[in-house]
Amino acid sequence: MCDVCGCQLTDTSDKRIVEVNQSLLEANDRQGDANRTHIERMGAVAINLISSPGAGKTTLLEHTIDALGSKLRIGVIEGDIETERDADRIRAKGVAAVQLTTGGACHLDAPLVHKGLHALEDQANSNGETAGGRKYDLIFIENVGNLVCPATFYLGEHKRVILVSVPEGSDKPAKYPTTFRGADLFVITKTDLLDYFDFSLDEADKEAVRIRPELEIMHLSATTGDGFTAWIDWLKKLVA
Amino acid sequence: MAGWAGQDTRSAMHELSLALGLIGQLLALAEEHQARKILKVRVTIGPFSGMVTDSFSFGFDALKQENTLTRESALIIETPDPEYTCLQCGNCFTCPAGHVPGPRTFTADLPCPDCGSEHCTAKGGDELILKQLEME
Repeated sequence: MCDVCGCQLTDTSDKRIVEVNQSLLEANDRQGDANRTHIERMGAVAINLISSPGAGKTTLLEHTIDALGSKLRIGVIEGDIETERDADRIRAKGVAAVQLTTGGACHLDAPLVHKGLHALEDQANSNGETAGGRKYDLIFIENVGNLVCPATFYLGEHKRVILVSVPEGSDKPAKYPTTFRGADLFVITKTDLLDYFDFSLDEADKEAVRIRPELEIMHLSATTGDGFTAWIDWLKKLVA
Repeated sequence: MAGWAGQDTRSAMHELSLALGLIGQLLALAEEHQARKILKVRVTIGPFSGMVTDSFSFGFDALKQENTLTRESALIIETPDPEYTCLQCGNCFTCPAGHVPGPRTFTADLPCPDCGSEHCTAKGGDELILKQLEME
């Protein structure tokens, strides 16, 4: 229909079909790739830690820093909806930490982690590290406590680790399969509580492997140290 | 990144983050193709992508109102059939009608249709793709 008078004589419609075939996550994934390059330029391997709130991500990191902090240069990016509490806990261990507060968002995305990486690099520089050189061996990105949304967003990490704690129940892999499909390592935490909860390690392991056959699995308690060596060895092998 | 949800506090639900990201992609594509408005938006959402399509549509319909370019955009969501691979016999198959698809659907209750193994794993299905636009 003519735009000017509404007559049917001329078809001035310029409707067009455009084939796009772009990922909806393209902007995020592109930034994720850039983050990966940035991480490697700093000399580091990065791990994206994903779990529900309270599964013990920060506690695991505290014990990991105790075990490896004198041998490896560790940096931590903490994702939370609010507060600096987790970053404060990490800083108390004498390790560089950056707090990212999402202000409501339920996950970290690559552009936000990009900021975190620059802040980590600045901290290394102000500690006298030479600009442009190797600054970290290991960077942990502790995602916002959530077993659903973080799974969709690639942050530039080398490995993705999922934590489930014993009090949460052994049905978690079955109930959150999408999250487990993208994981490299599945860690069951708080195994010192197995006597008090109806948690089947066998069920959790079997379900997780059913979803992702190549998944590595560990069971540990950061408090008692049970199974903790396997985690530390896994990390050492990563940075070797 | 223009239009990306990262710094927008409205991105509390990840479907909303992705809808916000999509609006950003649409605005950029409209500018590139010098379009006045976008009429149809065709997306493919994989059955194992972890996206709740209703939430995504809801977010898109709310956010599209903010731009004249997208105000009339109709979102068309295509969901491919869920596919599985049997780890025992290598058979690839889709979820039979009447069953709720999921990455772990093929268990003891619903084994591989070929060899009966319950060790089947989801194949692909995590795609989130902006396929095609109709614009003028």
